[in-house]
Amino acid sequence: MSDNRDEKLDRMLRSRRHEPASADLAQRIIFKARQLPQTKTMPLWQSVREMFGEFHLPKPAYVLASALVFGIVIGFSAPQDTGPAADDSGVSVQSFLSADEALL
Amino acid sequence: MATAWPEKDDHELLVLIQDGNGQAFATLVERHTERFYRLAYRYLQSKAAAEDVVQDAFLKLWENPALWQPERNSKFTTWFYRVVVNLCLDLRKRKGPVALDEEMPLIDDREPVDETMVKIQEQKALEREIAALPERQRMALNLCFDEGLSNQEAAAVMGVKLKALQSLVMRAKTTLKERMKAYL
Repeated sequence: MSDNRDEKLDRMLRSRRHEPASADLAQRIIFKARQLPQTKTMPLWQSVREMFGEFHLPKPAYVLASALVFGIVIGFSAPQDTGPAADDSGVSVQSFLSADEALL
Repeated sequence: MATAWPEKDDHELLVLIQDGNGQAFATLVERHTERFYRLAYRYLQSKAAAEDVVQDAFLKLWENPALWQPERNSKFTTWFYRVVVNLCLDLRKRKGPVALDEEMPLIDDREPVDETMVKIQEQKALEREIAALPERQRMALNLCFDEGLSNQEAAAVMGVKLKALQSLVMRAKTTLKERMKAYL
């Protein structure tokens, strides 16, 4: 009994009618679209790729730019304590001066 | 914009639309207008409003085709069902609940009069009860029965898990079975 009711309800749900759309609905949409400009919103990675695509530099220019960037990076990442230590030199100058005064 | 490429699938057409190809857009519109109209009609119960929603949805796609992202939206129809449903919900929020269209053709003219009368009653009662269901139950029912989507597809359109979708459909049918007792 319950199965019959289920089946009938399913049948009714599948046979629902609706008012058909206007025959020219699709054409109306196509016609309106023709009057609208498209806006191009690109994903970030695509815009970056397009931006780089705009540059047409010869290969040596890329090599030179890469070498410069590489040099700057190496320069800034070099350890700071490779030269004479500031504190050490300060101490030695002080001791030298006081030694000099003692002589006078 | 004459239609072309009936052999191209939706994905191929959308790639062309993203390059501004009007013919691809026309093909996509002609292919899918009826099905999205049907869905919108079920929500809005008004031919004019449903046509406006479908038109808006397609024009949004034309104006900004990058809205469809193949890597995120695997299937065009699943994604576009969601677009249409959202537009319907927005419209209903703005305009309030809809009344059933009295002029809606509920019958097939070729059927004998007696059967026709019974069917009219049945269909009117069914439409009334479906309209009274909670929003999400009605949506699940429309997608599964009217649009013939699989439960998996309907769940994807609604952004819910499969179990949740099945539960919505089951609750909707239980309510309808109870309220339509006289006709079942």
